[in-house]
Amino acid sequence: MDSKRHGTVDEQLLRDEAVVALPTERESFNGHKPAVMDPEQFHAASEKILAAINKVIDGKAEAAKLALTVLLAQGHLLVEDVPGVGKTLLAKTLARTIDCKVSRIQFTPDLLPSDVTGVSIYNQSSRQFEFRMGAVFANIVIGDEINRASAKTQSALLECMEEHQVTVDGHSYQLGEPFMVVATQNPIEMEGTYPLPEAQRDRFMARISMGYPDKLSEIEMLETHQAVSPLAKVTPVVTSADVAAMIATVQQVYVSQSVKEYTVALGRATRDSARLRLGASPRSLLQLLRAAKATAALDGRDFVLPDDVISVAESVLAHRIILDRKAASSGDTPQSIIRAILASLPVSQDAAAERRSS
Amino acid sequence: MQSRGQGRAPRPGKPGPGAYPWAMSAAIAVAVIGASLSLNGVFRGWVWLVPAITTVFIVGLTLAVLRALRVHPVLTTLGGLLALVFILDFTFFRPESIAGFIPSGATLDTLGQFLKRAGETMVSETAPVSPNAGIVFVACVSLGLVVVLIDALAVPLGMPATSGLGLLVVLVFPATIKPQGGGLLGFLAAAVGFILILGCSQWFAPDSRLQTGNAHGTGQLKRSVVIGGVALVLGLLLPLAVPGFERGTFPVGSRLNPWGVSNGLNPMITLGNSLRNPTSDGSITYATSSTAPVYLRSVTIDKFDGDTWAPDDREASRRIGPGRMAPDYALPSELVRQLTVVDTGQFTSPYLPVPYAPTAVNGLSGRWSWDPATLSIRGEDTTTRNQQYTVYSALPALTSATLSQDNAKPTSISQDFIQLPSNVPDIVKNTAKTVTAGANGNYAKAMAIQDYLRSSQFSYSLQAPVQGGYDGNGMSVLADFLQQKSGYCVHFASAMAVMARLEGIPSRIAVGYAPGHATGATVAVAGQEPLAEYQVDARDAHAWPELYFEGVGWVAFEPTPSRGVVPPYASEPVAPGGPSTNLHDENLTPGSSTPPPSTTAVPPLAGPGAGSGTATGYATALYVTAAALLLAVLAASPRLVRSGIRARRLRPARAKQIASGDGAGPAPSGDGPVLAWAELQDLATDYGVPPVPSETPRHFAARLSNSAVLGTPRAAASPSGAADDAGQHAVASLTGEFERQRYGPPEGPQADTAAERANAAAVRIAAVRAAFRRNASWFAVFRADWFPPSLMSRWFQLLWSPFRWLGGISAAAASRAAASVQKLFGALRWRR
Repeated sequence: MDSKRHGTVDEQLLRDEAVVALPTERESFNGHKPAVMDPEQFHAASEKILAAINKVIDGKAEAAKLALTVLLAQGHLLVEDVPGVGKTLLAKTLARTIDCKVSRIQFTPDLLPSDVTGVSIYNQSSRQFEFRMGAVFANIVIGDEINRASAKTQSALLECMEEHQVTVDGHSYQLGEPFMVVATQNPIEMEGTYPLPEAQRDRFMARISMGYPDKLSEIEMLETHQAVSPLAKVTPVVTSADVAAMIATVQQVYVSQSVKEYTVALGRATRDSARLRLGASPRSLLQLLRAAKATAALDGRDFVLPDDVISVAESVLAHRIILDRKAASSGDTPQSIIRAILASLPVSQDAAAERRSS
Repeated sequence: MQSRGQGRAPRPGKPGPGAYPWAMSAAIAVAVIGASLSLNGVFRGWVWLVPAITTVFIVGLTLAVLRALRVHPVLTTLGGLLALVFILDFTFFRPESIAGFIPSGATLDTLGQFLKRAGETMVSETAPVSPNAGIVFVACVSLGLVVVLIDALAVPLGMPATSGLGLLVVLVFPATIKPQGGGLLGFLAAAVGFILILGCSQWFAPDSRLQTGNAHGTGQLKRSVVIGGVALVLGLLLPLAVPGFERGTFPVGSRLNPWGVSNGLNPMITLGNSLRNPTSDGSITYATSSTAPVYLRSVTIDKFDGDTWAPDDREASRRIGPGRMAPDYALPSELVRQLTVVDTGQFTSPYLPVPYAPTAVNGLSGRWSWDPATLSIRGEDTTTRNQQYTVYSALPALTSATLSQDNAKPTSISQDFIQLPSNVPDIVKNTAKTVTAGANGNYAKAMAIQDYLRSSQFSYSLQAPVQGGYDGNGMSVLADFLQQKSGYCVHFASAMAVMARLEGIPSRIAVGYAPGHATGATVAVAGQEPLAEYQVDARDAHAWPELYFEGVGWVAFEPTPSRGVVPPYASEPVAPGGPSTNLHDENLTPGSSTPPPSTTAVPPLAGPGAGSGTATGYATALYVTAAALLLAVLAASPRLVRSGIRARRLRPARAKQIASGDGAGPAPSGDGPVLAWAELQDLATDYGVPPVPSETPRHFAARLSNSAVLGTPRAAASPSGAADDAGQHAVASLTGEFERQRYGPPEGPQADTAAERANAAAVRIAAVRAAFRRNASWFAVFRADWFPPSLMSRWFQLLWSPFRWLGGISAAAASRAAASVQKLFGALRWRR
């Protein structure tokens, strides 16, 4: 009964949850700035992570890269696809490759906010209320089937995502760094679920669809995954300190004026588009640029190209915009509209003027 | 979107419009009145200026008042139009109007008359026209509308620069109508007004588009110098190519007439223009059996009353079908019969040019009618355009002897040809009396008048009447002509005709063409020997008097010095027995540089043409050489310009210059990769891989690398594989450098100098170019060399930009007008 109310918490993943750092430690963690990695180290670390993920999930290199991008950009990831394509596997693998605290929450309709954030329990011996941390106190939180839980539970998670802290009984507890929520959502069989409203989807940096693997990958998957779970072989390849350093490196990536202008132009184009009821919010542009920075860093550059923005634009923006009724009925998808906008948006506003003057 | 956002000038002064509407209206009034000054030569005198100024002033004042009261822009413009209606009504239709300025039904009748009169003036008169109420009314309407138009453009639409269009509308009329062009005064006054309008709008409602911040200061200066220079060069070169720009500041009218030589209903009017017209298209060719070339007569003018003399068509007595023609007066039995074949070509006129006196005309298409009194032939439903016809004509064999026998008062002729209006000026009467004082007999009197007009006192000039303000015809013109003693055939012919009537000789003015010159060709006509062919063009347009002698009929004279051919009977020393007193000095053709017409049948005027043959030969050679050179430069110019652009982009000096500059620039030597990238893009455009605006540099480079034109990388089999590889590498490194420059963090001081980097860029561009040339087809290489698409598309854009701009402003104006109307109706509905 108890376990059912709390959802199924993956005991194996939560084994070392007891050692979650205390708030004091966390502050010290935040206080000192992690060292910036040099490009070679960064490249090596990211290669290691991606290689480890790709070993487990066949033929999904792009999804793996995007997941890593979101991690390095300090965002949260929403994986949305039909059952059985490896949503949870991706989240778990990413979590496993990094030597950090991982928790998994299976969202069910009766899951309560306190199950996520934690609860104060009266300690008989000390005659005091003690805060017992919830599943969210981890570096990577996997929220499985997030749309199965009620809206109030979702909200509890979303507060943590935004603020990187938990407030219970007036006390605020800082969450660990890095902190990333990987939520999965099942788009079909939606009866009795609470799909994330637009405002909450906006908090996820990117939404990806896994998609079906191609033929060869699928055959290979059938071979390798036959006997033993591939997840079991995954060992951490980087430490959480490494990830923090990588995140710091990403933050150092230079964004030029023209890239900022391009990003803003893209956002404005979605707002001006006649086929969209709701365009990209300023927060989404901020996250778009952060994702672009991570992409640039993963590509081995210390500056952002418009290409980086374009490469993540679809994943970052598609779940935030809402189609006009006409567009939806005429078969457009958010993805197709973003692609159309990208295809018509001049990369450099002043390119023509520049060429004329030169 | 952009123009909608920026085009609107800020509402004049938020707290209150202040002086803006007044200053703007004053500027517009100055501009329009200044431009209208150029109408001086279109109207005779200055009478028209008073109503014009009144109209402009009242309309401008109304607009200013309404604007000062902050009335809605659409209502302001409507108010201006209403004010225009009122002031015009007050000026022109006061008696018929309600309260002196409100139009009534009677006003409309008068308006119709005015418009009819204006229309008549336009078709029948030539500049300067008499300023009658109709034409002045039309001018005032136009000027008032121009004021409203300029005001609407400059203030509510916020496009003061386009208000020049309105001024241009005013200027175009004198420029096309007046033979010497618009005139400097009107042009300068209009320009001053235009500058005032611009200044006003800039001073009171500075446009957000024109930022005067010095961020772009040097660039703007440079650009304006370039634009000014190009405009200057074009202004100097274009007039050479465009017909109409003969001299001076504005197209000169006579060359801008695209409708052919003569379209006038009144040939007297268009004659002067034809003579001043230096083009010779619309020529008539004819071949005649006559020994001498013939005069071709179109029409005669015999009514000498009214402001303007015009042909009298005598509709009542006209007969259809010139197959057989006979005059309604007696002809002598002894006639010289001639046959003339005429081809009118592009010459267009309602009147058929035929040699006098036609007895039959064959081969015409369409319906034609002829007047027995004058034998002029007129098309009923057609014109002379593209007519080929044969004229049989018969002329009395005239000698001075036969003519001088006739001294009787003509009786068998209609009074039409003897009547004179009562307003014959005294100078004409006195001159006629003086000149014919010693002459005895009609022929002697005629010869005396001709001699007087051909004497050295008179000079032939096409321009003097225009400058003297007596271009045209009519009694007052005649008085001026006799005073100034300078004019052209119309004046000489009408002077002789009027003076002949004063002396009792019936007369009329024939209008048509002088003989012209031989083409050297012959025309075969059935039943005839080959006939010599002559050509007549607009420069041969002519008028001459015909005098009636009892028993002989109408006889042509030639009082115009240095023009046409003096007929033998009018110049030959008469046979013994005739009055010889006035004929000694017949051959004097004063004030003329051309050889005097010989007394015998004059050979066609081939002399001048032959004389200038060698000179024109050199000139032609020179022109051909110059044209060939120009063509060569033109053909090579895309290549030259393209090479120049490339060299400038890859020149290290530019980078150095910036580096050694004040250091305020964004990054030293920073332009290099950007310029090299621009060159790469243009190079790719030249070879058929144009960049797409929505493409990132990387994407473009990838597309370029995959395109066939750069060659396949590492194609070991192909001999050019290594070189293609170099091209690929060059593209990759150019892309990388450009990306780093454009998107990367600002760089610190560079180890290698700007010059080295520029050299490296040049080497890479050269590698790419070499790869392109190797892989492209010969046509693509040719096109890239001689007609580089990167350049041509830009030039085409430049060419089209005025049209795009026009389209843009018209679209913006339309949308603004729609918005204003909507707003207006919205306001009305709300108030209700």
